[in-house]
Amino acid sequence: MKKAIVVSHLIKNFEILEKGTGFKNSFASLLHPKKRIITAVNDLSFTIQEGELVGFIGPNGAGKTTTLKTLSGLLYPTSGFVSVMDFNPWEKSPDFLKQISLVMGQKNQLWWDLPAMESFELNKEIYEISNKEFEKNLNELVSLLGVSQFLQTQVRKLSLGQRMKMELIAALIYKPKVLFLDEPTIGLDLIAQQNLRDFIYQYNKKYNATIILTSHNMKDLIDLTRRVIVINDGRLIFDGALEDLTLKFAQDKLIKAKLSDEIDIKRLEEIGMVKKFEYPELIISVPRSTVAIAASELLQNYPISDLTIEELPIEEVISTVFKQSKGF
Amino acid sequence: MGKYLKVLGISFQQEFAYKLNFIMWRVRNVMQVLVFFFLWSSVFQNPDANYFGYNKEKIIAYAFLLIFVRAITMSSRSVDVAGIISNGELSNLLLKPINFFKYWITRDISSKFLNIIFSFVEITFLFLILKPEIFIQTNFINIMLFVASLLIASLIFFSIAMLTSFVPFWIPEISWGAQFLVIVIFVEFLSGAFFPLDVFPTLVQNILKFTPFPYLVFVPIQTYLGSQNIHLNLLSLGIGAMWAVILLFITKMVWQKGLKVYEAVGR
Repeated sequence: MKKAIVVSHLIKNFEILEKGTGFKNSFASLLHPKKRIITAVNDLSFTIQEGELVGFIGPNGAGKTTTLKTLSGLLYPTSGFVSVMDFNPWEKSPDFLKQISLVMGQKNQLWWDLPAMESFELNKEIYEISNKEFEKNLNELVSLLGVSQFLQTQVRKLSLGQRMKMELIAALIYKPKVLFLDEPTIGLDLIAQQNLRDFIYQYNKKYNATIILTSHNMKDLIDLTRRVIVINDGRLIFDGALEDLTLKFAQDKLIKAKLSDEIDIKRLEEIGMVKKFEYPELIISVPRSTVAIAASELLQNYPISDLTIEELPIEEVISTVFKQSKGF
Repeated sequence: MGKYLKVLGISFQQEFAYKLNFIMWRVRNVMQVLVFFFLWSSVFQNPDANYFGYNKEKIIAYAFLLIFVRAITMSSRSVDVAGIISNGELSNLLLKPINFFKYWITRDISSKFLNIIFSFVEITFLFLILKPEIFIQTNFINIMLFVASLLIASLIFFSIAMLTSFVPFWIPEISWGAQFLVIVIFVEFLSGAFFPLDVFPTLVQNILKFTPFPYLVFVPIQTYLGSQNIHLNLLSLGIGAMWAVILLFITKMVWQKGLKVYEAVGR
């Protein structure tokens, strides 16, 4: 297996100018600019093998986008080492750029005043794709995203969702080997989201493409990624399988039960924390280590018709992770 | 090569998408020349008058040439670069296997081409209305030198537009301020676009000769008019070419420095 992406001790600082609010403070900051260094990415290291599909998770401002921008050569690392497909992204060699694509939910590369088709044809020339390749890729993407009737419409006249789909086509028309997808499903309707997820899955399998995906939409991650990298405040907090994230950070499991008769909720507190009780449904959260005992106790002492033991929802696990890591 | 041809094509379409904008820009150009024309026509009411080495025929030729020379040297899309650096749209270009400078030169060529066509229409139109006596250069060498001087002027303007566009790398709030100052005040004023530079005192003229500005408008027009001997023309051309090389070199250096602090904001 070849290493597609290597990030080693990456640090990226930004210098920001602090601006006061209001006229008086704005004026003051004009005369005495206050500069502050913020560290967006702080000593981050990871490697990704060719063909891997990795989820990149973190709250807003965690450094996800900064990392992706550094990997695609837009940002100059303050220190550390970065390599993508054996290229130094910063050098922006054409052979490197032809292999990668950075798709951002809020980016637009389309020519605003012209039909999207013009931008696709421009990319065809820029990425030097043959007519046959172009036709094939275009048809595939257009039918997948269901936008064939909008190809000749001026981009400015498209709806947000339609435009997003066109952006995706422009970003994928040259079949890049490495995809950096930053919130790709933002602004898409449910059907398009599902289509896109299927597409990403197949793209990864079919072309052995290396993909890093960031998303706040957990469905994207659960459906697509086996491995996740979690960062917060620019630091790595977890790198491993999605299931292990739950094992590592979720100390509790959930017992979901259906009751066949009314009971006294007070007594349940002895078993675990009652998260939800709406007759006949009951959800109790209990420590992972005692879950078996708790379940048998419930079954023995309460009128229960059905019982399941589940992991905490991934959203909840992740928000616990972020809260815990705040202390660093 | 194919990619730059496509950029050229799409640039044309883009210009046509902003028809009104383009027309306004042309109107502005013609107005400037009209002001120039009427001002100097009144100075030269006596047909035998001769000021600063110009007679009426030559000063009117200067005015008409101004339309043409401005269309070539000063129409450009690269002034947009300031905006795309400041709003982060530059990222789109950086991610593509395309040379940044060649891309913008191509876009400039499309803009210049359209402007040249329009300038010919305007010149014909103004010629029919004003019916001036005009000086037509027939010497082949002068015409060739004129073409060379226009090329040099375009390169100088390109690097000035780029250099002023790079300011937002360091000060993102200034997306057009720096350009306005440099292009409108310095470039227009000191290049001969408002008046022939001969009207300045000799000392000022001599100082100006060592700046890149006269080589944008004044020198090309002088070369066309043949008001100096060939040796002086060649010397001016040489200094202009030197400036073009120096400025392009600085542009490239500043660009590389700017990229390092580029924050790819917004998008």
